Amino acid sequence: MKRIFVDYKKCLACKGCETACAIEHHPSHNLFGALGDNKTQINVRVLGIEHEAFPVSCRHCDPADCMNACPSGAISRDPESGAVILRATLCKACAMCAMVCPFDAISFKITHESCYGRDVAYKCDLCNEQVKKGGQPACVVACHSGALVYTDADPSRQKRAQKGLRTYLLGEEGMPPLVELFRELRKQEFARRRGGE
Amino acid sequence: MKVVTVGTGMASAEFVQRLRLDGFGDEIVMYGDEDFPPYSPCVIPFYLAGEPLETVYWKGLDFYDRYKVTPVLGSPVVEVDTDKHLIHTSSGRSESYDRLFYAAGAKSWYPRPKWLETHGVFGFKTLTDMVAIDRYIAEHNVMRAVVFGGGFIGVDAALALWHRGLEITLVHRNNRVLSQMTDEEGGIFATRKLVEKTGIDIRLKTTVEEIVAVNGQLSAVRLSNGDRMETVLMIVSIGVSPNSEPLSGNDKGVAGNEQLLADPHIYAAGDVAVTKHAVTGLSGIYATYPNAMQQARIAARHLLHGDGSYGGSINTNVLKKHINFPIVSAGSFSGEPVTWQQGDIWRRVYLVDGKINGYLIIGDTRISGYIYQLYLTQRRVDKKIKAILSAPRHDSYYREMLGMLDLAA
Repeated sequence: MKRIFVDYKKCLACKGCETACAIEHHPSHNLFGALGDNKTQINVRVLGIEHEAFPVSCRHCDPADCMNACPSGAISRDPESGAVILRATLCKACAMCAMVCPFDAISFKITHESCYGRDVAYKCDLCNEQVKKGGQPACVVACHSGALVYTDADPSRQKRAQKGLRTYLLGEEGMPPLVELFRELRKQEFARRRGGE
Repeated sequence: MKVVTVGTGMASAEFVQRLRLDGFGDEIVMYGDEDFPPYSPCVIPFYLAGEPLETVYWKGLDFYDRYKVTPVLGSPVVEVDTDKHLIHTSSGRSESYDRLFYAAGAKSWYPRPKWLETHGVFGFKTLTDMVAIDRYIAEHNVMRAVVFGGGFIGVDAALALWHRGLEITLVHRNNRVLSQMTDEEGGIFATRKLVEKTGIDIRLKTTVEEIVAVNGQLSAVRLSNGDRMETVLMIVSIGVSPNSEPLSGNDKGVAGNEQLLADPHIYAAGDVAVTKHAVTGLSGIYATYPNAMQQARIAARHLLHGDGSYGGSINTNVLKKHINFPIVSAGSFSGEPVTWQQGDIWRRVYLVDGKINGYLIIGDTRISGYIYQLYLTQRRVDKKIKAILSAPRHDSYYREMLGMLDLAA
């Protein structure tokens, strides 16, 4: 099964993944439709932690605590792609899933999927339909720096703790020189700001 | 091998589904008090709040057909004869079993059962209750309701009816609602916020003393502080008691071993089962959905393959229904408290020997999964718990993973 892996050291915090995700999941499939629409759903978010950045989304754990906690039958696994899928029509926004998700990957709001005029849980769906046709998730396609990679989960990783973020981190390959430079400048900038406080 | 379930609730449905998906082809009979396919008790209040009935059937309306089950519905099982391997229902029907899955759930407990004879007084536990309340509200054009009891079910009831547009008075004996899943300070904070966000009239340290009926129809209730409230609808949600009498002879639940076996041929699971807590080891009834699921799966596995053992229950719970204001809690509220609050968010962790003994997270679910994992794994967190609770942008999990948790915070 393929999963989205993260090489956070390459993340430039450009939020291209967020934008691509918003467009992919917006009914208009269009940037101008998604902009300024407060029902727009963004399933990945770039955390800025000091001078580092980290794109956060559902890791589609197996076993998945959220799926085991959902009392309304809204969360299931697609046997073909392995994606953990949340169906808004059955979701009651009871937060049992969010309560146990170690990655804080589940949020609540009124989205275009909401059926009953209230908030629903929403999270990454791995762009399941695209992926099953042999494509890649929109965030991965949009990521130009190589921080997000959609690839086969290495069985040796899978044996380790499923719920640990480290299972999903990459970082073996060398850093492109420009990214190295960018990181160094960003680090210095954050140090400068801290010093100025 | 003939398998019989007592109960058609979530544990029984999961158990049966697991058996069938794992290739069990023999006869399965399910006994239930109510004439419905398996439904989700967590979901049914949303039906009262105006959402479609079919969403309560979490494993599908066609469950019995799909899993080739013979349902026997409408009359409760009143006796289990463990010697003869027979169950008996209130209507006089008997059924033999080779393996019994006993998951009869719990029922509302009423301080004065006689009140239920009055038209307009309801419990709030079953789908039968919900359908009756829904019909009653529509027929009598009910505009306001009194909910007596502010535990999880009472608050759920109050919020569902509030969402439907009724004016609600919630009467509760304690000094805060949700008194079992909160500590004093957190519970008082949550109660105040619930009032601010909904306008529900919450009467604390108060009980319903008596009801006023005219020709068998509720017209008012009288409270312990002397107030009288005109209402034609009262929900009683004081507490629940497990349906264990048919098997154990009392209402204290049914204890099982690590395979959930209460007897060599009977598994006990769900809201009736007495199990050990996974962290503390204390025996009790831990009536939440994830525990029931895990128990059902262990029992199914044991029945089919003869292995597997139950790792224990967790008493985590969350109330976030009808409004976006979650209240998360787990463990027990003793030890050294570490608290963080900002605006609508209130977080407290209780530490014992540097490990999380219990916690409360109110107003926001962020970091609750991280705290849950720290609680389950019983890692020492005394040095960093303050930083975890107070991390800016609620990103303490990722901060810790990147080695950037600010311990001086």
